[in-house]
Amino acid sequence: MDSSTVRIILLTIHVLFFIYAFSVIFSYVLLSFVSARESSQYMKRNSFVNYNEILSSTVSPSISIIAPAYNESLNIIENVRSLLSNHYVNYDVIIVNDGSKDDSLEKLIKAYDLVKVNYLINHQVPTKPLREGVFKSTNPAFEKLTVVDKENGGKADALNCGLNISQSKFVACIDVDCLLLEDALQKMIKPFLELTDVKVIASGGVIRIANACKIKEGKLIEINLPKKFIEIAQILEYLRSFLLGRMAWSRLNGLLVISGAFGMFDKKIAIDVGGYDTNTVGEDMEIIVRMRRSMEEQNIKYKVAYIPDPLCWTEAPDNYKILISQRNRWTRGTIEVLKKHRKIGFNPKYKFLGMLSYPYWFFYERLAPIIEIIGILYFIVLIALDNVKWDYAFAFFLAAYLFTIMFTIIAIYSEELTYHQYTKKGTGIKLLLVTLLEPFVLHPFILYAGIKGNIDYYFNKKIKWGEMKRKGLSKGESN
Amino acid sequence: MSEKKKIVLAEDNSTLSLLLKFRLQKEGYDIFIAKDGKQAIELIEEHNPELILTDIMMPYISGLEVISHVRNKLEMKVPIIVFSAAGQEEMVLKAFSLGANDFMGKPFSPNELVIRVKRLLS
Amino acid sequence: MNDYQNILEYFNQLPVLVKLVWYVSFLLFIFILGLIFYLKILRNNLRENEKKRIKYQKIYEENLINYLYAGDGIEGISPEQRVFINNMKKDISNTFNRNVLISVMTKLVNDISGEIAQAIHKFYFETGLIDYSLLKLKARKWEIKAAGIHELTQFEVKQAYNEIEKLIKHPHKEVRNQAQLYLVNLFQFKGLKFLNDLTYQLSEWDQIQLLEILQKFDNQEITDITLWLKSNNLSVVKFALKLAKVYNQFESKETLLELLKHNNKEIRVETIKVLGYFYDTDSKEYLKSNFHDITEGEQIAFFKLLENIADQTDQHFIIVNISHPNFEIKLMALKILKNINQPKFNTLKLAENDIDVERIVEFIKNN
Repeated sequence: MDSSTVRIILLTIHVLFFIYAFSVIFSYVLLSFVSARESSQYMKRNSFVNYNEILSSTVSPSISIIAPAYNESLNIIENVRSLLSNHYVNYDVIIVNDGSKDDSLEKLIKAYDLVKVNYLINHQVPTKPLREGVFKSTNPAFEKLTVVDKENGGKADALNCGLNISQSKFVACIDVDCLLLEDALQKMIKPFLELTDVKVIASGGVIRIANACKIKEGKLIEINLPKKFIEIAQILEYLRSFLLGRMAWSRLNGLLVISGAFGMFDKKIAIDVGGYDTNTVGEDMEIIVRMRRSMEEQNIKYKVAYIPDPLCWTEAPDNYKILISQRNRWTRGTIEVLKKHRKIGFNPKYKFLGMLSYPYWFFYERLAPIIEIIGILYFIVLIALDNVKWDYAFAFFLAAYLFTIMFTIIAIYSEELTYHQYTKKGTGIKLLLVTLLEPFVLHPFILYAGIKGNIDYYFNKKIKWGEMKRKGLSKGESN
Repeated sequence: MSEKKKIVLAEDNSTLSLLLKFRLQKEGYDIFIAKDGKQAIELIEEHNPELILTDIMMPYISGLEVISHVRNKLEMKVPIIVFSAAGQEEMVLKAFSLGANDFMGKPFSPNELVIRVKRLLS
Repeated sequence: MNDYQNILEYFNQLPVLVKLVWYVSFLLFIFILGLIFYLKILRNNLRENEKKRIKYQKIYEENLINYLYAGDGIEGISPEQRVFINNMKKDISNTFNRNVLISVMTKLVNDISGEIAQAIHKFYFETGLIDYSLLKLKARKWEIKAAGIHELTQFEVKQAYNEIEKLIKHPHKEVRNQAQLYLVNLFQFKGLKFLNDLTYQLSEWDQIQLLEILQKFDNQEITDITLWLKSNNLSVVKFALKLAKVYNQFESKETLLELLKHNNKEIRVETIKVLGYFYDTDSKEYLKSNFHDITEGEQIAFFKLLENIADQTDQHFIIVNISHPNFEIKLMALKILKNINQPKFNTLKLAENDIDVERIVEFIKNN
């Protein structure tokens, strides 16, 4: 190759990087505007909703909460109690004990006066067989509770079992260790009942971080900002992702993922598409993509709704090891889902879903860590060759950094102007401080996890599920 | 007995609690207010009241569980009146099967509540 | 000074693109500083407001309750109450205080009826809070309009009828919804007149709300729902079907039977459900003979109806449908068979390869 070819190749690479960076920033600006508008609309629309009439009505549609549990013995009693205390009337709770090796089942039986019952299951979605069977409480106060004990098959399999058991029109799939506020169901069901011109197939909720919050017997008593950097940085990440990103995507009706920790589905549609996919670690995203795809293929006007209210609180990893394995799993999930449904990508038949949602996820989520690492490696090579134009490098780096923190601060604003959950004095300063440092401290780990996820996906197929060692919600009290 | 009769009132609407408290105090009762089911149980265990008024729908521990606790765990025969909102008929039935004595559907008239309280405590 | 000049020189010799990036960074920096500064103020304001709100809520709660018990029980207003009303008139000229007071009053009127509720309505009127609400109806912003209607509903101000009735066709959904709630809360069935010529669709959410409100009132005259059952507006038909069920409108059965031929599937399903609820037998033969032409949703609804009314004459139809591919229908068919002819059920020859039927039979036998 002569030097001019090299120059052209290098120039092309530079231009591509530039376009990528510029389009990322541009899309963020756009999403911020959309989300600001949608948030303010949402707050206004819901300022005088009287939920009482809906939640007490016997005409209101039935909802089943499905919560898979695997070795959750530590907190299962309290977690179930929190699920049982929802204010919606027409709902029940299905705990699927997914072959736990601990004493979860015995504990549940004892605490809730459970007895084994005869239960006819409609096997609409194939699952692993039952182990001990189906249990109900003899105490009328716990009438809403059903516990299913089945052989281990993973989270998706357990959720499918719940889909088969449920007799309700809607299902709320949640992680059993999530703390659900009492008005969660009525708020999540609203979009399904509210829209007349489109079919709402699912609604997703926000996940908030419960670390350091005061929780007593399954109830959120006090919201605190955690102390560790890694925890606060994740709060900022979640605010950005939920209050800016998803809010905007829901407005555009392009939401591709509903958090597996809390989402509500039209049960019939979920079953018709075949339930959760047991062969992916990204089952929560996969089912949404599949449901959307099926709607597009049937030409039905539909929507995936999104409720920004802080209704679901969960423990986030408080050390880098678990965080990395969590993000590694998320990365693999994203890769698997996008790969499985690559048919819809850039396919005009799938309209917005194929031409915008999918490409966005592909370029800015799926490829982000890869492009970033290539950029860094390239930069290192340039340094080694002493070929860096520092004027350019420094100016662009600074601008990128400032953009990053600006978006984070905007996310903090959207939190303050809507839900304002962190009311204590001094919290604002801490959030800002972490905002400034997060790109240098947390981000490298996230990047590492993303790269590792890619490597594991392609070269290490047998990797087992990253297990999240949870401290348990109630221990937050001691903080 | 010259001592005032004690009533535990469990209700998460603070304004309503206050209103009822003033009213029942005027009638010569001693009122303890709980804002959720958990506090209610604590107050019941502590004061051993002559009457319990409880909302069905309350944060954390529901009125149903309060009744269940009073009747089954504490084995108290103290009369219980439950407050229910529209559409909670099923819950009211459950409340009765757990051992509630009477119910008032919201919105209710405080005057009528006083009449029922008096009837149960006479 | 020298440093400054050096920087300036350095900057001036930069390529245009880099210069541009520096300008952008500078603007961003200023913007971020502004955001940070304002965030501090914003958080402080929010905190202070919350404190203030709690403080005033406590004060108003106690004052209001004192006021309510200071009445002489008869129509008039006692001197004590008059003093309180006058004090309040001053307080509520402030929007913040007014909102707190309204929220305290709302908490009470929602749960209280009878004399005390009426005393609160009177208080709302006497203090002039009502004028603020009426003013809101004229606002240009939809959210203020809607809030105004909401308040007038809460405190049962019937004289706003004419103004609010016009808003039933307001372009904004939330305003329309609040107007509907006003009409039905205050005028019950008479308020439902707007259904006669409704041009937009009532959402399921709206329907449930209206139904719940209607059910709060006992002993009321139910208007004839036939007109609504025949409406061209699908949502009105659906709502009328709910009314038919809740208020046991057997009289409208003829119209219901016609709805079995409605061109909307959901309406047909709902109609069968209502007929099932009435234990209706007239629709049975029609549905039986058209069973293969109707959708699965209707078939399931029909079997639920049969669960209530099936007799010996249906035996053949039931047995045929034991091999229906739908699990629910299979289950119901077998249950019905057991009810109408237990010996037949016990000696039933099961189709081979149908594991589901085997399981269901096993289940029914054990329960």
